[in-house]
Amino acid sequence: MILLFIATWIGLTLAEKRTERHGIGKDDLNNITYYTLIAFIIGGRLSFVLQNMPAFIKSPLGIISINPDIFDPLGALAVAFIVAFVYGQRRKLLLWNTLDALTPYFAILAIGIGLSHLAAGTAFGMETDLAWGINLWNATRHPTQIYETLASILIFGLVWFQKQNPRPGILFLTYAALTSASALFIQAFRGDSTMIFNSLRQEQVIAWAALVVIFILFEYQLKEKA
Amino acid sequence: MQKNQRIILYLLILIAGAAWIALSANTTNAAIGKTSAPQAGFSAPDFTLKTPSGEEYTLSKLTGNAVLVNLWATWCPPCRAEMPAIEKMYQEYKDQGFVVLAVNMTYQDDPANVVPFAQKYGLTFPILLEETGDVGAAYQLRSLPSSYFINRAGVIQEVVIGGPMSEALLRTRIEHILK
Repeated sequence: MILLFIATWIGLTLAEKRTERHGIGKDDLNNITYYTLIAFIIGGRLSFVLQNMPAFIKSPLGIISINPDIFDPLGALAVAFIVAFVYGQRRKLLLWNTLDALTPYFAILAIGIGLSHLAAGTAFGMETDLAWGINLWNATRHPTQIYETLASILIFGLVWFQKQNPRPGILFLTYAALTSASALFIQAFRGDSTMIFNSLRQEQVIAWAALVVIFILFEYQLKEKA
Repeated sequence: MQKNQRIILYLLILIAGAAWIALSANTTNAAIGKTSAPQAGFSAPDFTLKTPSGEEYTLSKLTGNAVLVNLWATWCPPCRAEMPAIEKMYQEYKDQGFVVLAVNMTYQDDPANVVPFAQKYGLTFPILLEETGDVGAAYQLRSLPSSYFINRAGVIQEVVIGGPMSEALLRTRIEHILK
């Protein structure tokens, strides 16, 4: 959690340096991020409670208990997106410009997520006898958390040092494409993937589908401003 | 880059991605449950410990039951705080095959405090004495309390580090491992 807070702070600081490039004010950037983070936390808690109502009806004080495990990440993301969308609409922020402005924040956050996985031992790799395997959970494993972090650092470098994009949205879509492609590659070495259709890794299929959508959006953005 | 060139690039990337998905298809992840580690998805590390009265409990012999392994100590405030909730849930779910093994970290606690503690809180589930540190090492103990929710197949479904756990959290986790 501490790593994620640090990543958020660094990411926002870097994103602020280039807000004018995308036509977004620093206040709007900070506000949309903070409101979204608050919505993420509250939304995650509420979503978990709603999905487990019988338990909380019997123990209503549990809704405000300090357990961080009372949290649904997908519900949190959904609520965060809704709040970000509503804020953007009210402030008349352009979607693609806003996403471009937030891209450095997303990139740094991804690095923080990789480091937090390494610290917690989650998102662990398959067993391996490669020389760079790490001892984790009673086996020598692919250091997929390190792969993930290194890929995120590389992607951050690529988006940070990219010259100002000619079209709104291209910077964000480039980041999204690189992240999806790296996830599709690295997932092959994970030891905790969810399997579908007997042997396919769900996360890889989702990353591949995301690439399809991203490529379609690339063409839409390039055509839109042509 | 021209549009046609971009589309060719997209297709190449997607074909390579699909090929990589197929190449990296894996059926061995199902074996994770057979490997033992103190992490969700793995078989719970086995142990045999005794209660203060000498009764012996072996975790692997409880396969078929949903088990909560709770690592605790009498000096630990959140451990003390969550015991009433654990006892309440134990009473509520024990007839459905829910078992609690409260493993006291006796090697870092005062054994003379354990029985009075259990009596004070009216605990009816087994209190096991971990006197050597081996179980703490097997579970890579980092913080007290640590709780491991183990399903009927002996696979850890959830790990909760720290506490106190609320009744609501306990209830959701217990109902999950009872399925």
